[in-house]
Amino acid sequence: MNDNRSAAAMFAAALSFFSHCAAYAAEEVPQKARACIVCHGPGGNSTDPAMPSLAGQPAQFISMQLFMFREGNRKDPQMSPMTSSLSNADMNELAVYFSRQKPAAASHETASENAAAGRRLAEQHHCVQCHGPSLLGLQHIPRLAGQQFAYLRTQLRGFKAKTRADFDGNMTSAAELLSEKDIEILADYLSGLIPPRD
Amino acid sequence: MLPAPFRSFISLTSALVCALTVAAAQAQAPAAAPPSWQQGRNAEQEKSPLHPFAIEVTGKSAKQVPVDKLKVPDGFKVEVWVDGLPGARSMALGSKGTVFVGTRQLKDVYAVVDRGGKREVKTLLKGLDSPNGVVFSRGTLYVAERHRITRYDGIESRLDSPPEAKVVVDGLDPQNQPGHFWKFLALGPDGKLYYNVGAPGNIVMPAYFQAAISRVDPKTGVIENYAQGVRNSVGFDWHPQTKQLWFTNHGRDWLGEESPNDTLHVATRKGQHFGYPYCHQGDTLDPEFGKNRSCSEFTPPALKLGAHIAPIGMRFYTGKMFPAEYQNNIFIAMRGSWNRTIKQGYNVTRVTFDADGKPKMEPFLTGFLVDEKADPPMWGRPNDVMVMRDGSLLVSDDQNGIIYRVSYGTK
Repeated sequence: MNDNRSAAAMFAAALSFFSHCAAYAAEEVPQKARACIVCHGPGGNSTDPAMPSLAGQPAQFISMQLFMFREGNRKDPQMSPMTSSLSNADMNELAVYFSRQKPAAASHETASENAAAGRRLAEQHHCVQCHGPSLLGLQHIPRLAGQQFAYLRTQLRGFKAKTRADFDGNMTSAAELLSEKDIEILADYLSGLIPPRD
Repeated sequence: MLPAPFRSFISLTSALVCALTVAAAQAQAPAAAPPSWQQGRNAEQEKSPLHPFAIEVTGKSAKQVPVDKLKVPDGFKVEVWVDGLPGARSMALGSKGTVFVGTRQLKDVYAVVDRGGKREVKTLLKGLDSPNGVVFSRGTLYVAERHRITRYDGIESRLDSPPEAKVVVDGLDPQNQPGHFWKFLALGPDGKLYYNVGAPGNIVMPAYFQAAISRVDPKTGVIENYAQGVRNSVGFDWHPQTKQLWFTNHGRDWLGEESPNDTLHVATRKGQHFGYPYCHQGDTLDPEFGKNRSCSEFTPPALKLGAHIAPIGMRFYTGKMFPAEYQNNIFIAMRGSWNRTIKQGYNVTRVTFDADGKPKMEPFLTGFLVDEKADPPMWGRPNDVMVMRDGSLLVSDDQNGIIYRVSYGTK
């Protein structure tokens, strides 16, 4: 991406953020978060299926992921350089900001044949054990309900392939026995769940 | 109609076919193993909301946590000594006053240098594998990682350019074990380095080198098992007079709100077995592994510390600052609990001894536990304790990456 296009994208994102801002958040967007919302969407509500939403995610989850990118546990062509100059205090600040933003309504619609099957897989493979019965996450565990479909699918594939870093090994072991079809169904199911609005 | 024997043969066959069909349907969809911390749950606990807590890997500054909630007995004072050490756990004191600090979920060892009351944190070593254990002796820093123990000679004069690690012993984790793989490290009065290898799960049969405290001679690299049946001990020290090894131990999870207790032990000689996985807290047989065993086979604990309270670092108090009755008392950092509905612990506990040498305990530093029913219930977690040369007590908190200092008789 050349500089002009990058600047234009930033500008467009900023514009869309400010209109969003009026609707939702009274909180001023910190300078540090402006680069994040270019891809993660205004207030951390992504509209790109490959890009995760950060809005309303637990703060401890966000800071832990930023840390893992900076330290090289997680690798990503965008996130690795984006985090390289962040201090721990920056990460904590970003985490608190995005955790306070309201998640937008799920835009993904689960295929009707995947709703029950997805729930079954989520229970069978212990997703609900850590992410909670409603898949809302807690502390360092992310909310999956309403997360972007393609992002979820990529993460599950990564855990299964053991290429996606894992804080404590639990996701690697949980994804080990998932088939490609299971991953498709799970991501479709989770992405269509409605995240809480309060 | 078929004769009775044929009828029953057919119904038996159809029952078998049904059973096989069900088994086949189940076999088509194998479930992943549950998270390792859930191992050992019974059927009733399958939907339990209890879960372990993760540390803040980015740490928190002292300004972000309610330090003013901390309480110590009258005459004592607690303050923040230094912050900015995410995941700070075991501590060791250098001869020139450097405080070395290990981590478990991070890859770093820190060095804290005190320059006239202003403390500077250096990330001394990076990229290590769960470098939880640290020992300083005669100019050398020893570090226990997941799989090895290493030495860094002349470290205090090379804090900005530490030497390459020299291996004392390697191959301590041949199976890349799950469960309790991080190691505490301490130097015994015999000049040997003592370390734990925890159980590879909550309640499982350990291999001969697991659920044990072992020691290695740093001169030869020869290792010996010292104590067995120790589920996971990440804190030990030697009694200043008897020179016997005292250690804390974590009991198993999912055996109940009040059972079993985590424990404090004394090893009076090499080769004792402390019960795991057969017998817990000296008097409670394990429902699975305890069948056909007796708790009388094993050495009982010196003191029960409370269920799931997670005792980590412990030291005998040998300083000159605290009142005389604190001499040779034990301080223990309690990092739990999570495996009970009503949480307890999250404090530094003082263990005293009566005239017969019988130990009992009382809370010493409290205030980390805010709401025993909340999730999370606490804002900080004491991890290790260390007596400084002036007699004050340092307490590390790996939840936030902060070290506190408890002093006496100061304003």
